[in-house]
Amino acid sequence: MNEACRRAIEDPETNAAHLQQCASCRALFEELNTPISDARVQVRELPLAPWEGATYRSWPLVIAGAAAVLLAALALCAAVGLSPLRAISMGIGSTAIARSSLLTAADAVRNASTIWQIAFGALFLLVNTALVLLLRRAPRGIDA
Amino acid sequence: MRRPPRILLFLAIAAASVITATLAAPPASSSVVGDARRVLLTPASFTDAAAMMQRTAVVASLLFVWMIAAVALTLISGREIRYSSIEVRTSPLHCLALGLVAVTSFVLTAIVFSWLTSVIGIPLLVALAVFAMLTKIYGTIAVFHAVGTIVAGLRTREQLSQRRWLRGDLAMVIIGLLILGAIRLVPVIGPIVWGLASIFGVGTALATKFGRREPWFLAWRPAEL
Repeated sequence: MNEACRRAIEDPETNAAHLQQCASCRALFEELNTPISDARVQVRELPLAPWEGATYRSWPLVIAGAAAVLLAALALCAAVGLSPLRAISMGIGSTAIARSSLLTAADAVRNASTIWQIAFGALFLLVNTALVLLLRRAPRGIDA
Repeated sequence: MRRPPRILLFLAIAAASVITATLAAPPASSSVVGDARRVLLTPASFTDAAAMMQRTAVVASLLFVWMIAAVALTLISGREIRYSSIEVRTSPLHCLALGLVAVTSFVLTAIVFSWLTSVIGIPLLVALAVFAMLTKIYGTIAVFHAVGTIVAGLRTREQLSQRRWLRGDLAMVIIGLLILGAIRLVPVIGPIVWGLASIFGVGTALATKFGRREPWFLAWRPAEL
């Protein structure tokens, strides 16, 4: 009994082709009165797996998309008399609003009454407990 | 995953066109809603129009930066992006809930860190900000992939063999970015949709541990004697 025979005995459906070729294995299954399914898997009938064709790199689409966005950005920047780098820095710099809001909220909580500070502490614990509970769930994407 | 009927796609495009056209040129109306819409969306003066165009230019410039980041990240870790994209398509509610809770947690934790003394608090705040930014960027790119796959993804093997360039992770990310980027340019609705995409993105990034699909916490088991 070789490795192929062992695999066929362990998983006869997957290794149906071996059972058709190997007389000793076929005799063994006939002795056990176990039907051997010779239904071959039709790959073309199987649903498309997410990874099939996924590694293909579509450079024409990337270049066309990037060129379209770049041209639109350059045209708009030229129309308002703004350099593209300045526009990008303005966009990224908008996080300063979030930073100042955060500092304002921190000051407000610091200067709040004890009851509000306890409520904030309870909210902090509650939200982080919910986060931990949600993170404990295993992702199901591939198996769904 | 079942393919939605093609008529739904055309209806969605028609509905989106009507909404965009209505927002871009609100119909004249004496109602309060109509007036509010005109005040919000239609510039009253030349200065307002210039400010609106400047905002659009900033958004378009940032979209180009997003495109560079999306292409680079997809080339580096395409499989992880794909896994996160699958998760956001199969468990959207879980990703939304996780995203909302995670963003709230980031804000509350940042407030707590800002209370600490500067020696401890500032490094912790910087670490939290970097983690939050990376989560948002990675997750939003995963959402680009998900949107691209929903709109233009492969359904059958015939499509796989027929399509020449509209296939692969990179193409799906670009398609999703162009769609969400176009929506981002629409006043009022654009920032809302983009913010929702960010929340979904943060959720899927954390749910899949940045596409690695590993548990965040080790399970405790008693030692076997």
